[in-house]
Amino acid sequence: MSDSANAPKPSSSVKLVLLGEAAVGKSSLVLRFVNNDFQENKEPTIGAAFLTQKCNLPSRTIKFEIWDTAGQERFASLAPMYYRNAQAALVVYDLTKPTSLVKAKHWVAELQRQASPGIVIALVGNKLDLTTEAPTADVDGTDGDDSGDARKISTEEAKTYAEEESLLFFETSAKTGHNVTEVFTAIANAIPETSLKTTRGTGGANATSRAGDEQRVNLGGNRDAGAKDSCAC
Amino acid sequence: MFSNLTSFVQKAQQFIDPTQGLNLSNSDRNPSKATLFQGQFRLPISQHPVYEINAELTIPPSNITHGDRDHERGWHYAGKLHLSEAYMCFSTTPSSFSQSASTSTSQAFTGQTHGGGPSGNGFTFPLCAIRRVERLNSQNFQFALAFTTWNGLLFDEPKDKDGKKDKKDGREQRIIIHLAGTRQACERFCDGLKRGLKAGVGSVGKLRGIVAENYSEYLLRTDEKKNATAPDAGLGMIFRYPGDAKKLRDRSKMRLWAEYLRDNGRNVTLIRQPTFHKLIRVGLPNRLRGEIWELTSGSIFLRLENPAQYKQTLDKFEGQESLAIDEIEKDLNRSLPEYPGYQSDEGIGRLRRVLTAYSWTNAEVGYCQAMNIVVAALLIYMSEAQAFYLLSTLCERLVPGYYSTTMYGTLLDQKVFESLVEKTMPILWEHLVKSDVQLSVVSLPWFLSLYINSMPLVFAFRVLDVFFVEGPKVLFQVGLAILRINGEELLDATDDGTFISVLKLYFSRLDESAHPKSENPKLRAVTRFQELMVVAFKEFSGITHSSITELRLKNKDTVLSNIENFAKRTAIRNLGPDSKLLAADELASLYDRFYNVLYDRQQRDMIIQEERKRRAKLIRSRASDLFPNASTENEVEKGRVALGPSTSLMDYDAFREFLASLAKWAISDSPGQSRFDSSFDSDRTPRYQSARRAADAFSPWGTGPEPAEHDFLRRMFKNWDVDGNGALTLQNVVTGLAKIKGKRDIMGTINYFFELYDDDDDGRVDREGILRISESLLFLSRRGLEGSLSPGASNLNLSGESTTARESGGSLPPGALTNERFLGSVSAFIRRCFEYADPDRPGHEETEKTPSTEQQEGGSGEAFAIGDDDEDEEDLLGPDSPTASPSKAKLPSSLSPGDDQVADRNASHRRASKSEAANAALDPAHPLHITLPTFRMVVLADELLEQFFESSFPSSFHVIEGIQAASASASSSGLTTFQSLGFGARAPAPIQPGPPEAGRGLRGMLDGIVTDGMRVATEVRRRMEEAQKELEKNALPGQRPDEEEDDDEDIGVVVGVRGNAAGNSADVDRRSVKSSDRDLLSGADAEAGSYKESGQSLIDVDSKPLPARPMEMNERGVVEFEG
Repeated sequence: MSDSANAPKPSSSVKLVLLGEAAVGKSSLVLRFVNNDFQENKEPTIGAAFLTQKCNLPSRTIKFEIWDTAGQERFASLAPMYYRNAQAALVVYDLTKPTSLVKAKHWVAELQRQASPGIVIALVGNKLDLTTEAPTADVDGTDGDDSGDARKISTEEAKTYAEEESLLFFETSAKTGHNVTEVFTAIANAIPETSLKTTRGTGGANATSRAGDEQRVNLGGNRDAGAKDSCAC
Repeated sequence: MFSNLTSFVQKAQQFIDPTQGLNLSNSDRNPSKATLFQGQFRLPISQHPVYEINAELTIPPSNITHGDRDHERGWHYAGKLHLSEAYMCFSTTPSSFSQSASTSTSQAFTGQTHGGGPSGNGFTFPLCAIRRVERLNSQNFQFALAFTTWNGLLFDEPKDKDGKKDKKDGREQRIIIHLAGTRQACERFCDGLKRGLKAGVGSVGKLRGIVAENYSEYLLRTDEKKNATAPDAGLGMIFRYPGDAKKLRDRSKMRLWAEYLRDNGRNVTLIRQPTFHKLIRVGLPNRLRGEIWELTSGSIFLRLENPAQYKQTLDKFEGQESLAIDEIEKDLNRSLPEYPGYQSDEGIGRLRRVLTAYSWTNAEVGYCQAMNIVVAALLIYMSEAQAFYLLSTLCERLVPGYYSTTMYGTLLDQKVFESLVEKTMPILWEHLVKSDVQLSVVSLPWFLSLYINSMPLVFAFRVLDVFFVEGPKVLFQVGLAILRINGEELLDATDDGTFISVLKLYFSRLDESAHPKSENPKLRAVTRFQELMVVAFKEFSGITHSSITELRLKNKDTVLSNIENFAKRTAIRNLGPDSKLLAADELASLYDRFYNVLYDRQQRDMIIQEERKRRAKLIRSRASDLFPNASTENEVEKGRVALGPSTSLMDYDAFREFLASLAKWAISDSPGQSRFDSSFDSDRTPRYQSARRAADAFSPWGTGPEPAEHDFLRRMFKNWDVDGNGALTLQNVVTGLAKIKGKRDIMGTINYFFELYDDDDDGRVDREGILRISESLLFLSRRGLEGSLSPGASNLNLSGESTTARESGGSLPPGALTNERFLGSVSAFIRRCFEYADPDRPGHEETEKTPSTEQQEGGSGEAFAIGDDDEDEEDLLGPDSPTASPSKAKLPSSLSPGDDQVADRNASHRRASKSEAANAALDPAHPLHITLPTFRMVVLADELLEQFFESSFPSSFHVIEGIQAASASASSSGLTTFQSLGFGARAPAPIQPGPPEAGRGLRGMLDGIVTDGMRVATEVRRRMEEAQKELEKNALPGQRPDEEEDDDEDIGVVVGVRGNAAGNSADVDRRSVKSSDRDLLSGADAEAGSYKESGQSLIDVDSKPLPARPMEMNERGVVEFEG
């Protein structure tokens, strides 16, 4: 009710879950997206962290409810708790670490079988800043595997896999912010209209708690600014 | 020693009573008295309740701080005095741990919520902390003992130890205990105490070292030692303790504690009185916090038990790497990063060392995220070593399973928490369900990190203060209180996000007034945190250790099977491409069977180990103060997937057991196999029924049938073990089985079989191999053939429809004849193999045989492309055979039982022309081999064998339904065939036809029949050997029978014999083979019921029973096993 009062566009919330091996930068991606910030030493996520961020599309506003899960292997059995009902998933790997792609593939398989049908999955290779190639705007066009950098997984390899499984695919750097918002925007666009429900909050949540939530998660104008230039719309 | 004897007797009783014995496999459902005792007094698992007696504790008034009248007569507590191997404990809680005590009285400690703490008022003294015991004269009690402890004396320099000075300082701690019991009981207790004290003397030095690290010793130090350096009380001493010391009133708390410790003893000699618990409730002072945590949790006793463990572990593994260490490194900079100590190398270093050391001592847990946060918190208040032992206590006793690789403890407690919320706050619970908010999404981190990263640190530490003294229930109480206090707002929240933010906001305002608008200034002064504590421990005082335990038990199975399903799903999904050859339900079932076997075996191992330990202990009496392996703590169930990575490797014995669960032929023929009929399988699959299992736990194979031992099994194991590490992974098993079951094509199976026997991978199987193959064929068929067998008169095209043509049963006794026939087929197989075998020395080839080299070249590809083979086959088929289709070699295809005889008879007649070669082939001095094409041809030359490879062998693995169902479907025929054919599986002792034990009734009878069947089979085998021996004897008189693969010195002669179609040996052999055929035929004619007769006839006809033979055969069997 009150939420959408000043926003003319329809607003929907989308539950998004981040999965991937430990220390591939899941939390950092979220932090970059939500607060446009980067921390070298983030506390490891225990269970999962919850954050929200809006993304403005031309036709609508998507409010991401982001579940950022713990990456350590043994937390895997908790994951179903978090990807339950998720409409979107970000499966993250570290493109300097081959095992992380293997793990990512496992997650993709898991999601495809266990998560809600029609879930939009994006495969994200993070830590692009550790490769020597200059990150350009057009990532999909850059060729992989220049020797001499820390990259271990070629763009081609991951992209081929992503295509096979019909996943969205990006290479990002949470550190530089490269391509981060693009991932979320692409997901927002890929969510089928039909699966969008109007913001759950408008129905019953009272304004107080909602305000507290936003205060907590994405403070002040920085966020709005970030959101605005981030979501290409 | 008496105590050990009693515990042994107790154990023995448990063995007799299966429901009691359960505590081994399911410790928490029925925990042992020792576990409860250790739990109540927070003692290491080396301690057991040895004696207990009612007693009254008198603490005399202290002469220093309390001279006032109230305390003149001191304090009295009635309670129970317990004695373990190295501890004496007194508790006002009326609990009992004697054998006669009921479980509820042993669990009594779990009831207390406020004030008492789990072990009530009293003390837990290490016996080595007791300096002197005197017996007093008392009118009321026969036994009044005065105990003087080492309180306050241990930290002093040795020169101070003159006693007089101590008195002056008034630090001597003296308590009086009146024993209330029969004279006998008192004396027994005193005797035990005396022994314990004597044994404890040696540990005084150790104790001295321990207490020296405790801050209380420094706090209460004597005047002349004011300059002593303070022991390490955590990073807080360097980097300041969190929170405002003034606001926390740290100084006055410290004063109160100093007073309490002075009066009631410090560290190990501390006596718990009501004030103790009150002081804990208001929050511990910074510098004593670590020490009190260590004391209340009992980790100080671990440290006392093995003070050097921390350092030794670090030294031992220095420089080594592990997965856990990698994970730890990733998180070091991310553990309480706001605390200044963890922005320094000092703090990071301590954190690294403690986490690393623990990951080495408990490799099963290793490292789990959240441990870094917990340890980082501990290290602010305690030394590295203290934190190390406290971490052990946490992981193994306080929050077991929280940090395990499957985190089952965490998940379980979430379930418990949810059901508590449902019970105590039904409206909120309903709301959560309605709004589809998952509670554990918020509460899981609370429990996992013990509120440390949920609340501001100062408050989290207050929770920990109570947690360490009262146990895990505190986590639940606090969690419930949080929800209760925020109930209204939570009822307004309709999604996870709002839910989380309400609580986040609450946590951030814990220091604010709970009633900011109240008129009453006192009420206004109450902070939200104080309110939380009150709600938690007053309103939720009903949440007790036992209610938690109960709920844990109730939910455990669900949680574990959830985890297992998840693990299973994941594991199956991650199996390699081979797994695609098997159906999904086959994989699922394989997975279950694989882990079931491992689980069962581990359970059994544990029980055996327990027993062994107990015996060992009995022998070496009580010198046992070794630090027990962390993993044995809690006697936790092993091998369940959900409980962590116990093992995922299957050794050979486990493999046998595994096979016995899905293939009839893998079950041993020894008399123990009765279980196979009764209690197998049906409820075995994913649910773990330990109840029934306990009863059977002492059979070496548990509840399952005894697996057979056979050369074939060994070969299969070796074949599946592609990595050659003597153990199979699930992947190996799946791949291995996929090779047999997956393709369902006869060539594949034939090739596979050949591969199994081609030891050196050179594409040849030698004579020994051929014999072994035929043995294994008999072995595999001895319980009947399965799958689709054509009933006999086969005008059907076998390669095609035969799969669906199930044995019709019809007029024929279904199994029996088939199996008689199979025996015939096998003997024909041997014959043909030798007939068509290639000599190892092609140079000496005189016959029409294709030189082996050539055959090999052509071999692998097209099986019957070689002209010679075709010729042979034609020959073999002879004129009688109507359909000789050489290319596919659908050989004597008209094989109705009658025809079968004819064919066989024909074959034996026909053999006249060829027999010389065959006989020569049997000559041990003449090495020969068959190649894969030959093998294929020989197999395909026999309808039954073909069917065996086509369908019966692959379908003998009942992956999904297990053998229970299988044997049910074919039970009648299965049984008869087994009896008629039961080829001794060469299991250690099955064949000896000794009379079954008397008085076994039906079973005995059954065994008798079985034994008869075996005798028949034995006979067949014997005759095979005999024939060979005969041959050896005649042809090469000088040679010893067992030297089969002997040198070739007589090769020329042999070749000559072979070519000449003459010689005694050949004759003997031919006759023997023939007669065997005749026997077989008569056997086949015989009614299915008359195995005995057929067995007899075999023996009779042979008419040359050499008594020595059976023995010889056994010998050979043994040799083969080892080879």
